Formats: sequence, structure tokens, C-alpha cells
Amino acid sequence: MITEILFSALVMTTPLVLASLGGLIHRSSGIVNVGLDGMMLLGALVALILASGGNWAVALVGAALSAGVAGWLMSLGITRLSANEIIVGLGLNIAIAGAVRFYLKAAYGSSGNLRLPDVSRLPKIDLPLPGPFGAVLSGHSVLTWIAWALVPLTAWVLTRTALGLRLRACGTSAVSSAAIGLHPKRMREGAGFVAGALSGLAGAYLSIGVVGLFNEGITGGRGFIALAAFYFGANRPWATAACALLFGIFDAVQIRLQGRGFPAELIQTLPYIMVCVVLLLLGLAARRRAEGKAASHG
Amino acid sequence: MKSLQAALTILFPIAIVLLIGAAALLAAGHDPVAVYADLMTEAFGGTRRIAASLSAATPLIFTGLAAAVAFRVGVFTVGAEGSLYVGALMAAWLGFTLTGLNGWLLAPLCLLAGTVAGTLWMLPPGLMKARLGIDEIVTTLMLNFIAIGLTTWLVNGPLLAPGAANSSTPQVVETARLTRLMPPSTLTTGFLIALALLFAYAFWQRRRVGGYETLIGGLAPRFAGASGIDMPGLMLRMLLLSGAIAGLGGALQVLGPIGRFVAGFSTGYGFTGIAVAILARGNPFGILIGAVLFGGLSTAGATIQLFSDVPIEIVNILQGLIMIFAVADFGLRGWFARRAGRQAANGGATP
Repeated sequence: MITEILFSALVMTTPLVLASLGGLIHRSSGIVNVGLDGMMLLGALVALILASGGNWAVALVGAALSAGVAGWLMSLGITRLSANEIIVGLGLNIAIAGAVRFYLKAAYGSSGNLRLPDVSRLPKIDLPLPGPFGAVLSGHSVLTWIAWALVPLTAWVLTRTALGLRLRACGTSAVSSAAIGLHPKRMREGAGFVAGALSGLAGAYLSIGVVGLFNEGITGGRGFIALAAFYFGANRPWATAACALLFGIFDAVQIRLQGRGFPAELIQTLPYIMVCVVLLLLGLAARRRAEGKAASHG
Repeated sequence: MKSLQAALTILFPIAIVLLIGAAALLAAGHDPVAVYADLMTEAFGGTRRIAASLSAATPLIFTGLAAAVAFRVGVFTVGAEGSLYVGALMAAWLGFTLTGLNGWLLAPLCLLAGTVAGTLWMLPPGLMKARLGIDEIVTTLMLNFIAIGLTTWLVNGPLLAPGAANSSTPQVVETARLTRLMPPSTLTTGFLIALALLFAYAFWQRRRVGGYETLIGGLAPRFAGASGIDMPGLMLRMLLLSGAIAGLGGALQVLGPIGRFVAGFSTGYGFTGIAVAILARGNPFGILIGAVLFGGLSTAGATIQLFSDVPIEIVNILQGLIMIFAVADFGLRGWFARRAGRQAANGGATP
């Protein structure tokens, strides 16, 4: 029972880790990306189409590239046309959802669903672990392990490499980083591509990893949960991944509790409530620090 | 010159979006001109269709205005959707509970309750913004999801209509329903209330002290603060006002076209309202035009879907793209400024 919940929690966590790391990287460069959900949806559709009669690896690359381009275009609108990042993100979600439905109708004559033959599913990795460890950790898809490998990788790149330091410098101050010869606009566009690509992989995990088909509600708002995770994790990769895991456990428990009289709709709002609470606590702490400083100077 | 500039800044993004949409339609093997013509006829050809479009525009006027009043003072709320939901639910709850009340008393009471609920929903993000400087965009976005989850839970459990299979409350008492202006269309007196509110906003923003304070508060917050305007308090008040307007809009949807609260009844009214407010640049007449345009698009899309194989999801693509391009700055303002500068220079040179 517990091992089953933990197993499905890891399944639910995978797309959240991928998308929230993308959002974290984009945020570190200075852009809050609200379009993760739309790019996830795009990746899910592209992956299924490419995996049908094809190869899962090609499908992953296609999903990452297409959603990456969407993230790059979105960033271009923000950096070059000085459009508000939140509005562009929300607009992108609406436009991609519309485009996906449009394409399904135009190309397949279907409304919102797509089932294709011979889908090459993501391979699962069986680990010869004893007892409960095997039950929880064995049988996950390659993308789950890639997602978790990306956590230390992201932390290392952001804190230990020149690229990561430059990226964070651009996020901290566009003006100062431009003054020392960096290109904050290009940096943000590149980070936008990465955010899109990771969200695209998250979508691919849902379509060719978990269910093997596509429908327009497949993301279930996970792009916004990912947003919650990197806000909650305050831009630190391990803390963000831990939040993603927490939300994944919520999700798994919530599915278990459904049909037993527990209000699923209320449990689903927990991540969003937690974001507001965390923002409140951070705000209160910042004020206390400011007051402390003022007192010590006075 | 100024009106030409205003018209161009609105029409230019729409033109780009229509071109992108045309490309998508062509790729799908449809004649874009014919599809756009069909959309226009279905939206505005004949009184009955215009009535349907105005009915669809009504909630968008409220959410558009809700966004505009907050944007005016530099508060970027995306929370109209949440206020709309809680306002609608409060109105529906009173509307089917207080059955003994006279309709003339009950309807205003429901609208008041919806307005108050929408206002209170914006109190936490408003206080967090005003007192602690916490980013209102994220909190209001999160509150939307919380409002949707909360109302869906309420109408699936405690407030579910007896015997109803889908997630909705019982019908509001008939006497509390708004009068239909042009039956059989769903256009109700709610549209007139929306128009009255737009007029009030137009008067307030040009003629009242609050209109001036919010104007300079949005343009130059530090100057406004130095001039003695309580900026945090002003931001809080405008965010609450935004919630009140959206809550009233939700209550009017319940007493008007729907007649009860249905889970997920809003097709993203709050988000479309943001597009409306930004396209209109806060201008009340622009909000009306934008709301009617988006309302017309959505009713036309729904009708066309019934009798043709055109992938009418094109309407959603257009809506999303308009949102994106409405906030994009194509350098038109700079172009106009340079042009004006040249003209002034030329004018100065000639005696």
C-alpha cells in the first residue's frame, strides 16, 4: 500500500521535476515563465505523433525541440518587444491549447483526443533491489532517472560554472550584467529554450511514458504546479525538486483517496495554497530583517 | 495624430494575429477570408446575433474593467477569474436558499453578496502587496486555482442540487432572475449594468480625485508617494475594487444567462478580460469594443461549429495571440515620437 503510493508518487513527480527545473533556470535568468503548462501540452502531442510507428528517443528530441522553440519565441516577445512576461505566458497557454485542438481537428478530425497505433513507449528500467526498495524504485521510465539526474546537474551548472554564474548575474540585474559585457537578452532567450525543452520532455513523459495516448487535458495544470514548486523552492534545485516530490506525493495520495469520500478538489488546491503561505512567510521574514537592520543602525 | 496613433497601436497587433491565423487556416486547407467573413456574419449579422454577442461580451466587460482599474495604479492582478467564481457562487447560494424573499429584494441582495465575496477574495493578495510588497501576480494567479477548486468542491458536495448529476447548484428563484432584453437571446439587464459601470469609470477616471491619484500612481509611483498619496493604501483599494467588479460580474452571470452556479462555467473570462484591458489601454470605450469583439468571436465560433467542418479552434488561437501581441511593443510609439520630433524641427525651421 505504502510502496504503491510511493511508486506512483515518483511517477507523478517526474513531469513536475522536469518542468520546474526549466522554470527555475528561466527564473534565474530573470523571467517568470507562466507558459510551462502550454509547452508541456505541445511536447505531449509532438511526442505521441513522433512515437507512433517511430522511436521513443526521436519522440523525446522532437518534443524537447518543439517546446523549446515555443519557449524561445515567448522569451523573444518579452526581451525584444518588451511584453509583460505574465500576460505573454498566459496568452501562450491559451494559444497553444487552441493550436493543439485546431491541429487535432484539421489533421485527424478528432476533438481533443488522439490515439495512434504502434506507439513506441518510453522503456522502463527494472532494478534488482530487495523488497520495498525494488517496489518503489524499479520499473520507472528512463525519463524519471534523467529528471533526477538533472537536479544535481542544474545545481552544479548554476553555482559552479561560468555559464551558470553569468545566467544568474543576468537574472539579478540586466543593467549591471550588460555593463560588464554580458548579453542578458540572449541569456534569457537561451534559458527560455531550455525551460521549453524541459517542459516538452515533461509532456512527453505524460503522453508516451504514462498513458500512451493524448488528450487536451493531459497536463492537468501541472505546469502551474511546477511554477508553484520553483517558487516554493526559492530557485534552489534540490529544494525545488523536494517540493515537486511533495506535490507528487499529494497527487498520488489524492488519487488513492478519491472515491472514499475525500474531497479531491480541495486536496488539489493544496500546492497553490502552500505557494501563497510561503510567499507570505518570505515577505514577513524580509520585513523582520529590514526592521532588525534599521534597529541596529538606530 | 493622437487618435491615429491610438488606432494603430490597437489595430497593428490585431492585424498581425489575423495574418498568423490566416496562415494556420491556409495550412489546414481552408479559405481564411471566407472563414473570417463567416465569423463576422455569425457575430454581428442581424439583431439576434448582435444580441448574442453582447450577451457574451457582458462578463468580459466586468473582467476587463476589473483588470483595468488595478493596472491603472500599477497592480498587475490576474485574479479576476477567482473573484468571478466566488462572486457567482455567493449569488447562486443566496439565490436558491432565500426562496421566501421578494425578487425585488433578493436580486440586489445576491448581487451585493457576489460583490462582497469578490472583494474579500482579493483582500489577502491586496494586504500582502500593500503591507509586505509581495508580488501580486503570483498570489492572484494561485488564488484563481484555489477559487476554482473550492467552488467545484462546494457544488459537488454541500451545495449540489438534489438529483443533479453534473456539478451545479439548484436553480436560482425565478423572481430573482434578471429581465431578458430581447428574448430568446440571453441578453439581460446585466449588460445595461455593465454599460452603466463603464460610464461611471469614464467619469471617475477623468473628473474625480481618485482618477487622478491612480493615474499618477500608475505612471510615477515614487512621485505619487512623495506628493503625499498613500501608495500602498491606493494599491490595496484598487485591487479590492477590481475584485468587487469581477465578483459583481460573476453574480450577474448567475442571475442572468445561467440561472445557477455550474462548476467551471467561466471559459476563461478573467484571462480574456486581461487581454481586453490591455488592448484598450484602460480606455472605457476601448474596453467595450474589445469585450464585444471577443464576445462576438466566441459566440460565432460556437455557432459555426454546429454547421461546418472549419476547425473553429482558430478562435482560441486568435484570442491567445491577441493577448501576446497586445502587450508587445512594436516600437510604434517611438516611431510616432521621432516623426513628431522631425515635424517640430521642420516647423521650427520654416519662418
